[in-house]
Amino acid sequence: MKRQRLVQGFVWAGLALLPLFIGEWQVLQLAQFLTYGLFAMSLALAWGRLGLLSFGQALFFGLGAYAMALATMGRLPGLEAWPSSWLGLALACLVPWSVAQLLGFFLFHGRGLRGAYFGITMLALAVLAERLTQGAGWLGGLNGLIGVPPLALGLDGGGPVLFDALPTYWVMLGVAFAVFVGLEALLASSRGLAMTAVRENEDRLGYLGYDVAAIKRHGFALSAAIAGLAGGLFASQFGFVSPKLIGFGLSAEVLIWTALGGREMLLAAFLGALLLSWTETVLAGLLGAYWLLALAGLLVLSVLFFERGFVAGILTFIAEGRRPGRR
Amino acid sequence: MGADLVLALLDAANFVLAIILVAMGLMVVFGMMRIINMAHGELFLLGAYALLVVQGLGGSFWLALVLGPLAVGLVGWLLEVLVIRHLYGRVLDSILATWGLSLLIRQAVILWFGPQSKVVAAPFDLRLDIMGQPFPAYRLFIMAVSLIVILFCFWLFHRTRLGLAARATIADRATAEAMGIDSRGLDRLTFAFGAGLAGLAGVVMAPLLSVDPQMGLGFLIPAFLAILTGGAGELMGVVTGGVVVGGSQSLVARVASPAVAELVVLGLAILVIRLLPNGLVGHFRQRR
Repeated sequence: MKRQRLVQGFVWAGLALLPLFIGEWQVLQLAQFLTYGLFAMSLALAWGRLGLLSFGQALFFGLGAYAMALATMGRLPGLEAWPSSWLGLALACLVPWSVAQLLGFFLFHGRGLRGAYFGITMLALAVLAERLTQGAGWLGGLNGLIGVPPLALGLDGGGPVLFDALPTYWVMLGVAFAVFVGLEALLASSRGLAMTAVRENEDRLGYLGYDVAAIKRHGFALSAAIAGLAGGLFASQFGFVSPKLIGFGLSAEVLIWTALGGREMLLAAFLGALLLSWTETVLAGLLGAYWLLALAGLLVLSVLFFERGFVAGILTFIAEGRRPGRR
Repeated sequence: MGADLVLALLDAANFVLAIILVAMGLMVVFGMMRIINMAHGELFLLGAYALLVVQGLGGSFWLALVLGPLAVGLVGWLLEVLVIRHLYGRVLDSILATWGLSLLIRQAVILWFGPQSKVVAAPFDLRLDIMGQPFPAYRLFIMAVSLIVILFCFWLFHRTRLGLAARATIADRATAEAMGIDSRGLDRLTFAFGAGLAGLAGVVMAPLLSVDPQMGLGFLIPAFLAILTGGAGELMGVVTGGVVVGGSQSLVARVASPAVAELVVLGLAILVIRLLPNGLVGHFRQRR
């Protein structure tokens, strides 16, 4: 355990120092991928810990991104004069959180929706959300919303703006690190243990007197809020939101990042998103459509033979000097 | 007014039967093998492209109707041997792996045929006159194919030795094997059969749709919702679910917009799942 923490510390320290050695454009790109990493952590929480295979996780990322865009562009009715980034961030977390709570109430309580059905329902929701967004004029329709301002530190949307590469990178890294530390603390607590128990055997957990549905609902909502935060941060960096952020494509990508990185280890999922997005920008021009073909093939192979994920395997090997066993 | 109503009902029936046609193979694979086949939409896609290829080589629609399901069935057989057999009893992993397969197939189709959509010709372009309104005869043909497939599946699984053996394998694998049933052979056969059904649906539906690499997903979701609302695990469920999902989507789309219809259907499906977790058929079967 101690060595594992040491490895984690080295990884984060390495990430903090990384921008000093690469070009400014690359730093900006990496800063964007950090929000993807945050997004992958949210899925690792829902899927790796609670066993909720959320096939439409981009629903929450997209909700966060649109909430941020609407708030900071002054398009919220009644709040036009107050385009605050802080309001945007709060809404980017709150809106997905509430949607997930509501969904959780319908999907987990009663006899509830087990594994597979849940995944398909989430997939349907994300596809539908993408279609509805395409048709919604208030949300910019197919074109999306262009001109989302960068994060501003003032309460009313004024004040210093987060625009330069290095500060942006470090702020994103800081947020990701804070979320990581918070989640690790949660998962190490008795509450986190109960969450892992949901994945392992939810019936038995129920017999022990735990309210399984409530654990799932709150965990799912937390995961949604983190995904929304990632979406909000992404929107303010990218300056542009479109229906693609809410739909099937991005849901698919985050699932692949998390699966190949390692669904049961937050840091592995985070690094998986970072590494794969990075590789994609380097190789996409070279490989084109073959890139996705290779990813899909890797996904199938990892499900069949290496469920824990590749990055997780490497991290565990470094920390413990052995290959992780199959569950 | 009367003609409008008849036409609306005919449209609804058409959509219902189309969804059941697509969902049937999905249901066979899920009901018999507990594998959620996310690649089903892409097998459907392969069927449509099989028609494209056959027509491109100068073959007729009817040749494709025979060759398409066979080719896709063969693909299914290969998938079972290479991938699916590792997934029995791992439901969540089966979703993920078959979903990877679906990406793989879709991407391969894009590489091979290009991302643009293509048009295939229907075998006949006849219009019938139904209460003064023209109605394409080809859509009646699809409805007939779907009905035949439904009846064939019921017959196959409930009236033949092979179907009995397949159901026995689901009920108790070890005992079935002790009775001399080749369960591995049945697994391969069942999956190939489900894939073949998807291929058949693809061939038959292709002339009505634009054939493009993304077409699988659009049918996969209503098919899944039909299975969930009807009740997973039995043939009657997919028929009931198809009627509920297809019927409501088609009728709501007529009075509102297609996007609203999908929203309504999804909401309805979530409600049914919440209130009747065994689906409509499962619920009423338990009550009896």
